Amino acid sequence: MYYLGIDVGSVSTDVVLLNEEMEVIEKIYLRTKGKPIQTIQEAFSLLKGRYKDEEIQAVGTTGSGRGMAGFLVGADAIKNEITAHAVAALELDHEVRTILEIGGQDSKIITLKDGIVTDFAMNTVCAAGTGSFLDRQAERLEIPIEQFGHYALQSQTPVRIAGRCAVFAESDMIHKQQLGYPPSDIIRGLSEALVRNYLNNVAKGKEIASKIFFQGGVAANIGIKTAFEKALGTEVIVPKYHDVMGSIGVAIIAKEAVEKRKGKTKFKGFTIAQSKFVSNSFECKDCANRCEIIQVLENGVEISCFGDRCGKWSEKVAVS
Amino acid sequence: MKVTFPHLGNVYMAAKIFLDDLGLDYVIPPLSNPKALEIGAMYSPEEICLPYKIMIGNYIQALEQGADTIIMAGSCGPCRLGEYCELQKNLLKNIGYNVTFITLDVPKDIGKEELLNRIGILMNASGKSSYEGIQALIKGIKAMYLVDEIEKEVYWRAGYEVHKGDCKKILYRYRQDVFATNNPNKALVILKKYLKQIKQVEIDKNKDPLKISIIGEIYTVIESFSNLYIQERLMDYGVSSLRMLTPSWWIKDLIGKTVKLNSIGIRRASKEYLSVGIGGHARECIGEAVLAAKNGQDGAIQLFPVGCMPEIVSKAILPTISKDKNFPIMTLVMDEMTGESGYITRIEAFLDLLERRKLKVV
Repeated sequence: MYYLGIDVGSVSTDVVLLNEEMEVIEKIYLRTKGKPIQTIQEAFSLLKGRYKDEEIQAVGTTGSGRGMAGFLVGADAIKNEITAHAVAALELDHEVRTILEIGGQDSKIITLKDGIVTDFAMNTVCAAGTGSFLDRQAERLEIPIEQFGHYALQSQTPVRIAGRCAVFAESDMIHKQQLGYPPSDIIRGLSEALVRNYLNNVAKGKEIASKIFFQGGVAANIGIKTAFEKALGTEVIVPKYHDVMGSIGVAIIAKEAVEKRKGKTKFKGFTIAQSKFVSNSFECKDCANRCEIIQVLENGVEISCFGDRCGKWSEKVAVS
Repeated sequence: MKVTFPHLGNVYMAAKIFLDDLGLDYVIPPLSNPKALEIGAMYSPEEICLPYKIMIGNYIQALEQGADTIIMAGSCGPCRLGEYCELQKNLLKNIGYNVTFITLDVPKDIGKEELLNRIGILMNASGKSSYEGIQALIKGIKAMYLVDEIEKEVYWRAGYEVHKGDCKKILYRYRQDVFATNNPNKALVILKKYLKQIKQVEIDKNKDPLKISIIGEIYTVIESFSNLYIQERLMDYGVSSLRMLTPSWWIKDLIGKTVKLNSIGIRRASKEYLSVGIGGHARECIGEAVLAAKNGQDGAIQLFPVGCMPEIVSKAILPTISKDKNFPIMTLVMDEMTGESGYITRIEAFLDLLERRKLKVV
């Protein structure tokens, strides 16, 4: 018996399968590439031959694409990524007090006490210091992103880089590089700038108590982890499955939801990998609000419609 | 003369009743919408606050429909909104619109004579006597109170309703019905009818929904387009929400200010954390947060547009209140982005946080 968790993020789509002991037995990490539907189908076609539909006890979706993904797979729980991340961390260690999470497009901080979330914050109107920015810099310097962190560790003297704005950080980096600083010093400087920006912006005014977990794709970067430890003066723990914590959390939430309902999962089965999904969008002109309506069709049949404020479109599907 | 005015939540309904009664020709701009914001952002300085941009969009959409005179409130107050009228006057002139601005301000700032002068322009155009003018104004204010009362009930009762969607239906229906009539007296009757109707919505008093206070910058909390319809959204989640800053509150506050008896409760509540007015409605925001904690709300959401200085100050004070009173407060900063997913994520996570807290306490 397995529990399925799907995290449709801006950059990547992660799918995990948990067993009864809440251990990860399958982990798929795909780039979303702006096509969430096809990405989920791709993941399902990888799982299809190996697991039977009946073995799935519950399925949950999270991430910015959770709503659409939920309709697609027949989710038992559709949950925001903040709660999902917190649940996954608490499953690992009930004593966790702070979660630092840096993903592709956003970064967040979650503070907890006695096993419940007490506060959280997300980056507001700026994406400086998130995974996409690091990705871009790695590409520019032609260093594989996986080794980016190790470069930072080689540096003895970090170069100061302005971390407030991604665009100006890049200008700063180019400037320092033209002056002849070695890449490792620049990368370490960038890591420290990113951490500084995070602590002064996202984490501003939040209490950072240990144990501290560092999650999200960027947690793989040892340079950033070290910079965090240096800035906070305490140990930062990177969980083994740091990059799929959202999926793990939502799989657990889905399990709880099904148990609470005392029902069966709404999972539609891995066969949706073969279905043909089409999504249309149009502007509803019935009132001044001009909502943008998105309609999803599965093999020509409308399965979901959303985006309206009055409920005229979304309720229509819910009723039928 | 064809007058128009910028939107501020549901003020347009009361304004319509006032203008209908006065017999003035008017254009009500299309409700604030993405297109209005797009127009506003195109012409406005990049760094100016969001309300300014939406208002410019309102004006231009109304001017395109034939309006030639804009009524706007101004103030020599310490927030940029007080200077909007002057800036907007110049902006519209520079992009080639020939419009008259009538800026209404308190006598203290522009002098009694000047205020009467400005009102005189409107009165002359209407051809009504000053007695009739006052009558129309009273009807407008009455309507504003009724509108605010209805919406307050709608947002509060949404958490307790037995049949999901009852409150929302009334909300949409009353707006439509009031707007459809051009008879001011009939409009007031309709408002009273709906106020009665909302009070009769079947509710379950045993329910214990999440209760959230909406606090922050006045335009952003009132103009629902600018806050991506937060209170309507909370209704969908079955959450009761409360907002103290309303147009009728503003009227009362303005009158009370002349004798320094305005919003005593809020001022007293804010005293411990912010004892002086620092512009905008920062003190109100702090006071409301303290009151919300005291009155047993589950949490508060602070809203303000990017770059709003008074609210940036209150944002820095809120964590202390949150800690002292053990009361969760979330801040949402609004900007031109109408992509809603990040915004919904924050609201949902905040509701989760409140709910889990509540269950733990019980």
